[in-house]
Amino acid sequence: MMTVAACGGTPPAAQQPTAAPAAQPTAAPAAAEATAAPAAAEATTAPATGGSGSATLLTVSAQQQATWTRNFNPFATDNRFPTINGIYEPSMVYNTVKGELTPWLATKYEWSSDNKKLTVTYRDNVKWSDGQAFTAKDVAFTFNLQKANKGLTGSGQNAWVYLDTVTAPSDTTAEFSFKEVYTVGLYDIVGQNIVAEHVWKDVKDPVTFTNETPVGTGPFTEVQNFQNQIYEVHKNPNYWQSGKPMIDGMRFPAYPGNDQANLATINGENDWAGNFLPDIEKTYVAKSPDNGYYFPPVGATVMLYLNTTKKPFDDVNVRKAISMAINRDQVVKVAMYGYTKPADVTGLSDAYPKYKSQAVVDAGTWTKLDIAKANELLDAAGLAKGGDGMRTLSDGTPLVYDINVVSGWSDWVSACNIIAQNLKAVGINASVKSYDYSAWYDRVQKGEFDISIGWSNGGATPLNYYRGQMSKTTVKAVGESSDQNWHRFGLDEADKLLGDFAATSDEAEQVKIAEQLEQLFSDNAPAIPLFPGPAWYEFNTSRFTGWPSKDNPFAQGSPFGSGTPEQLLVMTSVQPK
Amino acid sequence: MQYILRRLGFYALAAWLSITINFFLPRLMPGDPASVIFARFRGQLQPEQIQAMKEAYGLSDAPLHIQYIQYLSSVLHGNLGTSISAFPAPVTSVIATSVMWTLLLGGSALLISFTLGNVLGIFSAWKRGGLLDNVLPPLLIFVGSFPFFWLALVALYFLGFKFGWFPLRHAYSDKLQMGWTWEFVGSVFQHLILPAGAIIVVSIGGWVLGMRNTMINMLGEDFITMAEAKGLSQNRIMFNYAARNALLPNITAFGMALGFVLGGQLIVETVFSYPGLGYQLTKAVSSLDYPLMQGLFLMITFAVLGANLIIDMLYVRLDPRVRAS
Repeated sequence: MMTVAACGGTPPAAQQPTAAPAAQPTAAPAAAEATAAPAAAEATTAPATGGSGSATLLTVSAQQQATWTRNFNPFATDNRFPTINGIYEPSMVYNTVKGELTPWLATKYEWSSDNKKLTVTYRDNVKWSDGQAFTAKDVAFTFNLQKANKGLTGSGQNAWVYLDTVTAPSDTTAEFSFKEVYTVGLYDIVGQNIVAEHVWKDVKDPVTFTNETPVGTGPFTEVQNFQNQIYEVHKNPNYWQSGKPMIDGMRFPAYPGNDQANLATINGENDWAGNFLPDIEKTYVAKSPDNGYYFPPVGATVMLYLNTTKKPFDDVNVRKAISMAINRDQVVKVAMYGYTKPADVTGLSDAYPKYKSQAVVDAGTWTKLDIAKANELLDAAGLAKGGDGMRTLSDGTPLVYDINVVSGWSDWVSACNIIAQNLKAVGINASVKSYDYSAWYDRVQKGEFDISIGWSNGGATPLNYYRGQMSKTTVKAVGESSDQNWHRFGLDEADKLLGDFAATSDEAEQVKIAEQLEQLFSDNAPAIPLFPGPAWYEFNTSRFTGWPSKDNPFAQGSPFGSGTPEQLLVMTSVQPK
Repeated sequence: MQYILRRLGFYALAAWLSITINFFLPRLMPGDPASVIFARFRGQLQPEQIQAMKEAYGLSDAPLHIQYIQYLSSVLHGNLGTSISAFPAPVTSVIATSVMWTLLLGGSALLISFTLGNVLGIFSAWKRGGLLDNVLPPLLIFVGSFPFFWLALVALYFLGFKFGWFPLRHAYSDKLQMGWTWEFVGSVFQHLILPAGAIIVVSIGGWVLGMRNTMINMLGEDFITMAEAKGLSQNRIMFNYAARNALLPNITAFGMALGFVLGGQLIVETVFSYPGLGYQLTKAVSSLDYPLMQGLFLMITFAVLGANLIIDMLYVRLDPRVRAS
């Protein structure tokens, strides 16, 4: 579905700020090249342009690698941008800024009366880049390929948990039959990128297939000039949207880390980037009127997780008190450079305008700074202050905790430093402890921590988020690995509501249930929401225009590592200046 | 001959030990590669899929000793497995894309640094207390003690970014195709200056000081006094008598350094986006890519052992005392 564009899984050597373990971005042409040679490549039709010359190729910083390995397999965990949502396309594009589905390969969907069958209608004018016609048979083939090969990742693979069969009764319709009612599965289904049956039916092992010359339906399909430090993907000659894309292609220089990518971006070499830039107004925007950015707070919310299997974190009032002690304005302003905003008591980011209930938000007070109230709650919980102003449990154990964070994710580290100070102010002796990414992730997964910062689940509906926050089905014993609900908190009532939410396809009904879920979260404070994760995205208008921006927010623009569907909206609207 | 056989036996044992450590060490790190990759997909994958990914990556949950035996046999067959972070590329091809650039950068920097450093060391010892000897060693110690990454970043920022004298990244211009053209070779050379220069500036001090100190010891030896008494030319004494003998410890260090070249110049390659092995290694470690880590460490180990073996053989040639024993 969607993730926060951020940086992660990075070596400490390449200081990588930010929030998400996703192999990340990169790109830019060497402008400071003294060699002004046109690309004398037999393969390339257009001259490759870098910082100068006729601007026909868009330069993108999307993934971070020192050298590129050639892999355009949309089912792989590591493939080159823009394999997913660029070379291949989904049935529909979920727009996180608008909170709605945009028809793409498909024009509409319909639920049966018992919500156990989803019928999706496809366009009849779509061609693969090799000229063959795209049909709903390709859709059925893609899903059944994933069913037969468990190693093929993608949201369609998730769907087989609740899907029974996928068939294509005609060239324009695909039918998805469900084992059990699960209407939220719609987003998994329409988000899966579709591959061509006539190509993939002969692939011996689709899991290890590197698909070096992809055949896709997307705006950019022709891989050219693939080298270990740069490659190009040119436009699809048979693209189904006439007149699009309006640019000839994209080029992707390799950068090992954020610093290198940012240097190129600031140097005006990147037209499109998805990196965290510190103090962007000064470092980037002030450099040129062509430089812009747009960080909509639609990424999954960054949370402070308290291990609820340990005292005193099992007490809801203690959790709320800790939340009230945190100065979110300061965290957002200092640690996040004001790129986002404080979270509210629902914990939902701005990606859910349809579902977020203003009433619940207004009634909740525990995400606002209130030291007096925090102290009062902690006193009432029996955590008395000693002579040194530090609190202890009723048996005299001092409240001394580590806040775990990933070393090198500088924005999170500085957020944790502020939080540790805030907690000391109410008598909780917290200090920041940074771990290498793998070690940090191992600890949160197994529930072997006291306090840890971490991400939460995203998705088109609040369902994934709340399931990861308070569903009993996601609670694992301490010591057992879990990829969500690290704080190990579950409520029967939450599971009932989540079940009801997934059982109806009536949107008004879902909005009502979402409000109850939000209220439940607000009452119980399973974890502490800090701020929605921004989607990093910078653009440069000196060579290309038509970018989404604060003034024209038609989508989030992040060219993120594994690709959000919205980048298709960007790729098809950008044009040469 | 007996000496050579003894050395060979020692190297065989060292190789087996390093292969073994190479296998067990990464597995002692917390976490597992599937979880790390899984984490990249936050919320996109269901937990059921972790098992699916393990299947795909061939991460077996077999007991360690079984895995160890499998690993030994595949190493003997020259099969290093499939990389996880660059799945499904074989480890050998991931290494192959970078090894040439690492050798070029590390090798040329080492050669220049070694040659220049030793020559400067010889002269500075010969003219003890002279201008060169008073200025050079302290200056080199001063420069060499800066944090390397800081020096590299400063060089990149001023010489590359601010003044635009040198390219900011990569091993050759993005606008060129690889090939034996003057233009391409020129571009490679131009891209090499800054990263290689940074390595040389930092590492040269060690060679100069090492050479200078052994050389000064040599100059106090009786055979030097004897050579002077015989009335040999200054140059002949300096190079053929003193330097030739003083070079021996530095040759050993050179062998070690040569082996480590293959490990990639981690920091410099990252700062200058140079497509070498250093970054691959960091990435392998951070994403728990066991096969790639093993492949890289194995290569480094064998490079170090191989270089030392060659140096040992050379010693037989260079140092008559070894032959005599």
